[in-house]
Amino acid sequence: MSTSQTDAKPLFQIHAPGYDVEKLVQEIEATVTRKMAAGEYDDAAVARAERTNLANMQNHDEFLAFYINCLRESAFVDISDFEIRERRRGLAPLLVRLKKTIWGLLKFYTYRLWSQQNQVNGLLVTAVDNLDQKYRAKIEALEKRIAELEARTHRES
Amino acid sequence: MRIAFLTPRYSEQATIGGAETLIKQLALRAVAAGHEVSLLTTCAANHFTWANELPSGSSHSAGMTVHRFAVDENRDLEAFIRAQNRISAGGPVSEEDERDWMNNNVNSAALYDHLRRDGDQYDALVMGPYLFSLIFNAARIHPHKTLLVPCLHDEPFAKLKLMQQLFGAVAGFLFNTEPEMQLAQRLFGVPADKSTLVGMGMADFKVDASAFARRSGLQVPYIIYAGRREPLKGTPLLLDYLQAFRQRTGRDVRLVLTGSGPIDPPDELWPFITDLGFVSEQEKQEAMAGALAFVHPSLNESLGIVLLEAWLAGTPGLVHAGSAVLRWQCRSSGGGLWFRHYPDFEEMLKRLMDNPDLRQQMGAAGRAYVLRAYNQNAVDERLFSALEKVAALTGNSRR
Repeated sequence: MSTSQTDAKPLFQIHAPGYDVEKLVQEIEATVTRKMAAGEYDDAAVARAERTNLANMQNHDEFLAFYINCLRESAFVDISDFEIRERRRGLAPLLVRLKKTIWGLLKFYTYRLWSQQNQVNGLLVTAVDNLDQKYRAKIEALEKRIAELEARTHRES
Repeated sequence: MRIAFLTPRYSEQATIGGAETLIKQLALRAVAAGHEVSLLTTCAANHFTWANELPSGSSHSAGMTVHRFAVDENRDLEAFIRAQNRISAGGPVSEEDERDWMNNNVNSAALYDHLRRDGDQYDALVMGPYLFSLIFNAARIHPHKTLLVPCLHDEPFAKLKLMQQLFGAVAGFLFNTEPEMQLAQRLFGVPADKSTLVGMGMADFKVDASAFARRSGLQVPYIIYAGRREPLKGTPLLLDYLQAFRQRTGRDVRLVLTGSGPIDPPDELWPFITDLGFVSEQEKQEAMAGALAFVHPSLNESLGIVLLEAWLAGTPGLVHAGSAVLRWQCRSSGGGLWFRHYPDFEEMLKRLMDNPDLRQQMGAAGRAYVLRAYNQNAVDERLFSALEKVAALTGNSRR
């Protein structure tokens, strides 16, 4: 068979006249990089949003550093910072009041648990951050050493 | 020509997977072109159980003779799942695991017998996707006249040693996109002269972009996703991103979903999701036409068919950059943007919201692309050219 399309006319290349999405994506990515550096996305909401994207980004070193910054924002949980709500419409007011009463009773007993969890969260983020920095520095040093050795070998040959 | 198309499941309705729909569409095009078409499939309807729910035997459907064969019921499901989990994990896989996975996958001895006994009556066999042992075994019965529609993804299953046997045996390949073809070249050394880029023909449509909003009462901007909802398709990521977008930007953007599968959004996001479930093609197209963007967060695609549909509706795409195929579709057409992570998504969606001209231009570019590259005639030309070359090679053409 000789049905290859690889050398054929560019069937699938027809950018809109005057419109280049490649350029637009590059421009948006540059904006995002600038905003990331300025800490505009260091946000617990972003850390939560990225939880399913982590596996896809595991080869992006800078993304991990960014994610740890976001995580730092979400490590400490304020146990009063959430709204008690009810989706079942009919009995909602009654159920919300009941939940608030139960929560009021439980809060005293769970406070210690939450506070310990906050400590653990904070320590874990710090540990991961330290590990990341340590290995990043090691890799940079190794890359520098390899480059020096390659340059030396090149000179000698 | 007498052509047999083979796919694990077949239904006259749109209740089968994307790859199976693609094979069905190719078969229907062959019928429309006057070829004598048989469709070989199993008695299964459910892709989780693979139970033999439909009667075996022959029937007529849409101008084709449909032959259904029973799925073998001697599968060791536990061994299959064990092997599947090991392979999915992406680590090293033993030959025994590969054999367990293949032997306990979907097989049909009756279908293999039919091909051995009566396979000579067909001038060409077109089958796919690659991921089923049904295809792996059937393709190697008459490999010299078999065209594989692999629907290949960059995933651990594509890297099994056994797959080399499949990709090394068949006479040719019908690919959906350039990145898929390049992946097959990289993984299996598939030669260019055995490869044809075919894709799937898309029927043009024009719908009223305001019809969905009028009917549903949804008067605020929304994004849309259509298709199966499951982690592999990226729907949890989409829900998380929308929640973060609403929270961080304070903008009221809703999500409209069509298709099937459970979703599990955060409680506070529920009121802002409109889940239409299965709807008619026209309803889906109208919902697409009124959307800010069609968001495709999946990484495992060999052709983003729903993205092509959204472009026909004049709606731009917003896809995950991790999918080489979707990124390629957007780049080739000028009809969509691709995000790597949430910050990209936020910037891109804000850009689309704030700039109706941009949306309109990208939607128009996408539409022009589909009409040019995926119109029925263009797809037919590529499909029949590949089929005729296989038939000529085997000296079986009776057209």
